Amino acid sequence: MAKIENGRQSVDTRSIRTISSSHIDDESSLGSDSEINGFTSDRQTDKYGFIGGAQQYSEASAQDVPPEVLRQREVKWLDMLNHWDKWMIKRFDKVRLRCQKGIPPALRGRAWLYLSGGKVKREQNQGKFQELDSQPGDPKWLDVIEKDLHRQFPFHEMFVSRGGHGQQDLFRVLKAYTLYRPEEGYCQAQAPIAAVLLMHMPAEDAFWGLVQICEKYLPGYYSPGLEAIQLDGEILFALLRRVSPLAFRHLEKHKIDPILYMTEWFMCAFSRTLPWASVLRVWDMFLCDGVKIIFRVGLVLLKCMLGTREKLKACQGQYETMELLRAIEPRYMQEGYLVREILEVPVTARDVEREHHAQMKRWKKNRGELNFKPPPRMHGARLIMLSEPPRRQDLQQNPTIVLEVPQPTLKKGKEEKKSKKKKSVKKSQPVVEIPNPYPLPNDPPPPPSDPLPNNEPPPLPSDPLPNNDPPPLPSDPLPNNDPPPPSSDPLPNNFPPPPSDPPATPPVRDETPETVPQTESDSPHQQQARPTDLPPAKESPLQRSTQSLSSTEQDTYL
Amino acid sequence: MQNNHHKEHLYKILVIGDLGVGKTSIIKRYVHHNFSPNYRATIGVDFALKVLNWDQETVRLQLWDIAGQERFGNMTRVYYREAMGAFIVFDVTRPASFEAVTKWKEDLDSKLTLANGKHVATVLLANKCDQGRDVLTNNGIKMEQFCQENGFVGWYETSAKENINIDEAANCLVKHIIASEKDMLQSEVPDTITPQLEKDKGGTCSSCFRAQ
Repeated sequence: MAKIENGRQSVDTRSIRTISSSHIDDESSLGSDSEINGFTSDRQTDKYGFIGGAQQYSEASAQDVPPEVLRQREVKWLDMLNHWDKWMIKRFDKVRLRCQKGIPPALRGRAWLYLSGGKVKREQNQGKFQELDSQPGDPKWLDVIEKDLHRQFPFHEMFVSRGGHGQQDLFRVLKAYTLYRPEEGYCQAQAPIAAVLLMHMPAEDAFWGLVQICEKYLPGYYSPGLEAIQLDGEILFALLRRVSPLAFRHLEKHKIDPILYMTEWFMCAFSRTLPWASVLRVWDMFLCDGVKIIFRVGLVLLKCMLGTREKLKACQGQYETMELLRAIEPRYMQEGYLVREILEVPVTARDVEREHHAQMKRWKKNRGELNFKPPPRMHGARLIMLSEPPRRQDLQQNPTIVLEVPQPTLKKGKEEKKSKKKKSVKKSQPVVEIPNPYPLPNDPPPPPSDPLPNNEPPPLPSDPLPNNDPPPLPSDPLPNNDPPPPSSDPLPNNFPPPPSDPPATPPVRDETPETVPQTESDSPHQQQARPTDLPPAKESPLQRSTQSLSSTEQDTYL
Repeated sequence: MQNNHHKEHLYKILVIGDLGVGKTSIIKRYVHHNFSPNYRATIGVDFALKVLNWDQETVRLQLWDIAGQERFGNMTRVYYREAMGAFIVFDVTRPASFEAVTKWKEDLDSKLTLANGKHVATVLLANKCDQGRDVLTNNGIKMEQFCQENGFVGWYETSAKENINIDEAANCLVKHIIASEKDMLQSEVPDTITPQLEKDKGGTCSSCFRAQ
């Protein structure tokens, strides 16, 4: 098998096991993956790291967010991450809204880790990953995992080279999981999930992210027997009846079992199906709101592909239908279109639960008890957090890079944000000009002590709890429960770049650098700063926002 | 594909076997005439369609590429439904994948039978033969005998990468599918089934066995 792949010589005659065991001291022969690949020069890597394949970036599939907007979002996200528990408990719908708009790429990895609860899990299990990582693992699983390493996102630069860093980390994460849950072992569909996480965070974090997805978001999906995924197939089908009766009848008529088309969709959380920009947006929402997002994506795709008579005319037959569903028209998967559609599907976590209950009953009747009873499914980040409340220190950010000197110019700024030094710097008003995220590096780490209180003083109003659709509303709520429907929700308002002062981008920039809204002192300012978030927003009528604002925020939504 | 009114046949064919033995590669080679080391692991099931001209008739093969990991075996009942033939694939460089062959065959036969009660025609593929043939030479197994004992209608050493024997294997399978289809049609008339299974294997199919 030592052959040439992608024009490079693969290094893989030896097992990744041996490679990875020495991964720490590998100044070895393995340089950067791209060197190994040999296509350093001529390959075209897109902004996500893809060098080819169907999921690569294309203008048609994605939409770019203007840099100013991105900067503003970054600032908001940094603030949220600094006061995570507060935001989650009191202003969760704002968090959700921001997830719906798309997490800024620079903060996505961290945001995912916080949303999923992986961060808390990691802090509460310090040393666990290292412990698992140092064990050899069960050869039975290692064999299988090794066979899959080079088959995950083979067109992503991180995973393209055999034995490269991406594959090594993938091996470590998957192996660690088999040690963490020996009774579960390894399921092939976990590999793409882990790979997506690894594209955004280091191995240890990715491991805990994987743990959360496997145990909280999609419990039972990867367990022996794969019962949970089959059950969800039935749930999807039942929900489809309401969302697109036409599509439902068609699938029913041709006896197309859900597992024929939804297995990969759901088990991989659409990571192998959608164009990459859309994958990221779906995951942003999925990690915030849970599995209902996955159901909604599935429903949107089914409805788009099979929802009209003309379309059905063109695919008479089981096989034709399945082919159609494997070749979804790009326009339906386009980032903006898809997100908008997802938000409009009237399916809430409660609906999913209700249907789960009904299908479970049917299952028991037809097939008896589940062989593997998964833990209860957690619908979203908030419930996960409530179920396992974090200690304060669990939410503390530990930057992997700390800049010694304030260097506003570095773009990496956001990554390293809080070097704990400068608490002193309290710039009161700075907030106003959200524009420049970079300064963050040195600014004050959220003083664990008191900060929280003031931060979000007035805002908490209406939203918090109610929205998590899951438990609250009894009736059938479809529409409102769920949050996001663009319309009702004050999208416009939230956003800072209100018309009046067009993205106050540049203004105060100078000051911003060192100063980041210090919690306490500025709390008041903060309010002013981002009026939008706060109550005032509500006053500023939607109308206004819709019309005038439309430019910045609105479109980015789509 | 002219629009003549000649007969068209549509067959569903399963491609099964342990993970990583090359099922997807075989299908891509057969249908798209190419090979890439970059195929993704199959999760759930994948499909491809191959159209053949067969004695003036058109044969359409729906190839079902089924995930190889054991736990997906819980879904195979759905995947197998209404198939007319199957390839079971193993990797000649990996003895364990050969040991799994009988397990796959049993799974197949237990979940799928033709209208006349017979098992579907199944061809065994010893894939990656460009990389060695350890399994074939080292374990003392006589493949012909193995096939007969386990109900395969034939076997081939294949290489998706080097395009070895893929078409031949497919032709063999199609031939047997057509034969068994005829057999079913005939047997429908008298409404009795002649236990011809064994004889079938020894007789008609011998041509499929390649001399070692």
